[in-house]
Amino acid sequence: MTVIREKGYYHWDGSLVERRFPWWPITRTGILLAFRKKRFKLFFAAAYLPSLVFLAALYISERLEDFKFMLRGSERVIQITPGSFKMYMTNDGLLFLLVLVLVFAGSGLVADDLKHNSLQLYFARPLRKRDYLLGKMAVVFFFMLILTLVPGLLLFVFKLIFSGSFKFFTAYPWLPLSIIGYTALLTVFFAFYTLLLSALSKNSRYVMILIFMVYLFSDILYGILHGIFRSPYMALFSIKSNLAQAGSFLFGQKLPFGFPAFWSFAVLAALCAVSALVLRRKIRGVEVIK
Amino acid sequence: MSIEVEGLCFSYGSITALDGVSLRLGEGAIGLLGPNGAGKSTFLRILLGFLTPEKGRGRVLGYEIGREQALIRRSVGYMPEDDCFIAGMDAVTFTSYFGELSGMPRQEAMKRAHEVLFYVGLGEARYRLLDQYSAGMKQRLKMAQALVHDPQLLFLDEPTSNLDPQGRKEVLDLIEDIVSKKDMTVLVSSHILADIETLCSSVVILSKGRVAAEGRMEDLRAIHYSLYEVKVKGDGTGFKRELEAMGCRVDETEDRVIKVYMPPEGGRMDIFRAASRAGDQIRFFTKSQTSLEDLFAQVAGEE
Repeated sequence: MTVIREKGYYHWDGSLVERRFPWWPITRTGILLAFRKKRFKLFFAAAYLPSLVFLAALYISERLEDFKFMLRGSERVIQITPGSFKMYMTNDGLLFLLVLVLVFAGSGLVADDLKHNSLQLYFARPLRKRDYLLGKMAVVFFFMLILTLVPGLLLFVFKLIFSGSFKFFTAYPWLPLSIIGYTALLTVFFAFYTLLLSALSKNSRYVMILIFMVYLFSDILYGILHGIFRSPYMALFSIKSNLAQAGSFLFGQKLPFGFPAFWSFAVLAALCAVSALVLRRKIRGVEVIK
Repeated sequence: MSIEVEGLCFSYGSITALDGVSLRLGEGAIGLLGPNGAGKSTFLRILLGFLTPEKGRGRVLGYEIGREQALIRRSVGYMPEDDCFIAGMDAVTFTSYFGELSGMPRQEAMKRAHEVLFYVGLGEARYRLLDQYSAGMKQRLKMAQALVHDPQLLFLDEPTSNLDPQGRKEVLDLIEDIVSKKDMTVLVSSHILADIETLCSSVVILSKGRVAAEGRMEDLRAIHYSLYEVKVKGDGTGFKRELEAMGCRVDETEDRVIKVYMPPEGGRMDIFRAASRAGDQIRFFTKSQTSLEDLFAQVAGEE
């Protein structure tokens, strides 16, 4: 039966619950808001193009009889190895598309809250700073994992389906772990990278430019420094090169640059540590100017 | 007691915002009054745990500041002074989002958001994007997000700032409704005296980071001094000097009315004697009703 109430304010008769994951509403809302942005859906869909291309390559490699016209004397059209997976996951095109997705989905994560003074609303709730940051980071985690880990593992499964045997899995049982390890590295790094840049400005348009330009400029800087010093260590200045070096190590492939992969891991970890420090300082319930 | 604090100190670099504030606040509508920079917002922010006091301690609804912040924030609704919203959201999503973050189940938060938005007068605009809201609507929205989880204690920081007279009246009516009919303690921080006089049964006056006066409104109006309004022939310089020598505080309005704040030991005849000594003729004399403004002017002036 409908309760007839007095017009105006009345008390809520429920009881507040202590959430196990208090950051989850922040993440869910962040994901939904990203999909409401103009052009985001286009870039999000485009980020699956490399996966589709790789899927086609997998199909062709296993269904030779359908593609005999492409053989022209060679025994196989395409040979799929762990190196192919590494090439797919560390290729420039995929990384570029991921950065574009982050430009739209991640630029406003902190910047918009700083611009519209909403941090004080969050911290007037039973939320800790780490809940807030985790909630925002999980938005990036979601997009990165859905664009890298999910297709990566699905492509591995498709390889087995198309080949009709577990031969590939028994030959390279560590490959799923490599995919998980590399996508985890990529996701954690880009989460810190995006949140750091998002916390540096109140204007999300500037942050969009920053996310894109820092990624691009680091590679240009590597090119310039390499031209001057002719040292492979100059690749440490490039985000893309560090990810490629770390990726090659995790997929057990030949390293693209002539220095131990440890240095690339160290650079990426240092960038994450700097981001964590900056975020710790910037994220407050109230802006205190001393 | 809803709020008890003892010796709270906080400074922004070399600027002291709170200097040993000790208070015990009960229930009902409490005004936190003071000029800009008196430390009102800092006080609220310390209670909410946004700022850590350099000295002092306190309890809000029995929970200790600093150690039981989550429990305090669960039971307190906060309406900040600044405009704050989330771009790209509508009012229902916004309000239910903060309800959920307070610990409400998702569906309950959504249901309650609709109710609260109707209550604050945003029912028709609840699906409109917040980016398109006017200043008055944003103020109501802040009120809605503060009320959504049905707090026991409501902090309203300058609730009528940046509003036109009509918007101000509407927000004051809302607060008055909450204050008068609901068993919720409301702490209203404002520099607008009329708002506090309209809404609150007791008041704390902060000045330069210290408690200048506190108590029930009627008591504060009655204590300390009597107010007289006097007009004299001439510029009255000597008369004012005589009054000040007697320990009175003297203010002159634009239309040359001299307001005399007489200490308890003085009487109305002392004013006439002072005029006589100064050789001035009194042309107008009345005992005035003291308002909070007078009290505020007096305590702020004494600091």
